[in-house]
Amino acid sequence: SDKDGHGHGAKKYSRDFLLKFSMQFTELPEGFEIMSDVAEILNAHINTSPSIDYDSL
Amino acid sequence: ASKPSKGIAPQSHALEHSWTFWFDSPAAKSAKTKQEDWGSSIRPIYTFSTVEEFWSIYNNIRHPSKLAIGTDFHCFKYKIEPKWEDPVCANGGKWTVTFPKGKSDTSWLYTLLGMIGEQFDHGDEICGAVVNVRNRQEKISIWTKNAINEAAQLSIGKQWKGFLDYNETIGFIFHEDAMRHERSAKNKYVV
Repeated sequence: SDKDGHGHGAKKYSRDFLLKFSMQFTELPEGFEIMSDVAEILNAHINTSPSIDYDSL
Repeated sequence: ASKPSKGIAPQSHALEHSWTFWFDSPAAKSAKTKQEDWGSSIRPIYTFSTVEEFWSIYNNIRHPSKLAIGTDFHCFKYKIEPKWEDPVCANGGKWTVTFPKGKSDTSWLYTLLGMIGEQFDHGDEICGAVVNVRNRQEKISIWTKNAINEAAQLSIGKQWKGFLDYNETIGFIFHEDAMRHERSAKNKYVV
């Protein structure tokens, strides 16, 4: 299977398995603090709607 | 299309480790005087511990090609600071891959997924990764803990090149050498 969470105690996830979730979680976690200097690394329009560039994935 | 999630889904996928994103912006760096420690403007942004949280952050932050020149963006295991002085990093070193400007986005993502998904056989040796966005190139480095553990470093270097499909030779530099010799520090290992 893609996930081996029972083998040797390590939670392993293959790249393909992780990528399956990429489109499902597009909003910043609740409680994420947008300090002024952090804003410069966030994608634009963060406070309106998710604007994700999936072409680069 | 899937519905955007709010917060962490009930069936979230826990990662083996918690990881913290850090960044150091060109603006913050230039605001510092030369007398101060070079790393003092590095600060943590967010710590995540599930697959879902990872994507919530990753999908909202700029990828290396869209970051300002001079930015350093880090993803390190929780409680390890991306600094030479950190006790866990102090005896470590780093593998580095370089890309032309704007060409590191996919490799940066694959590096992150390889780390958080525990795809490295010697994952315990890994402190974290950093991407340095510069004028002409983008560099990604993986920092490790025990530079003298050659077998572990070689394994990490080889596996990493495989994950990135990177065919050029890459080098491993001890932090100790980097501190003493800066840019003239020599590779101790190559793969």
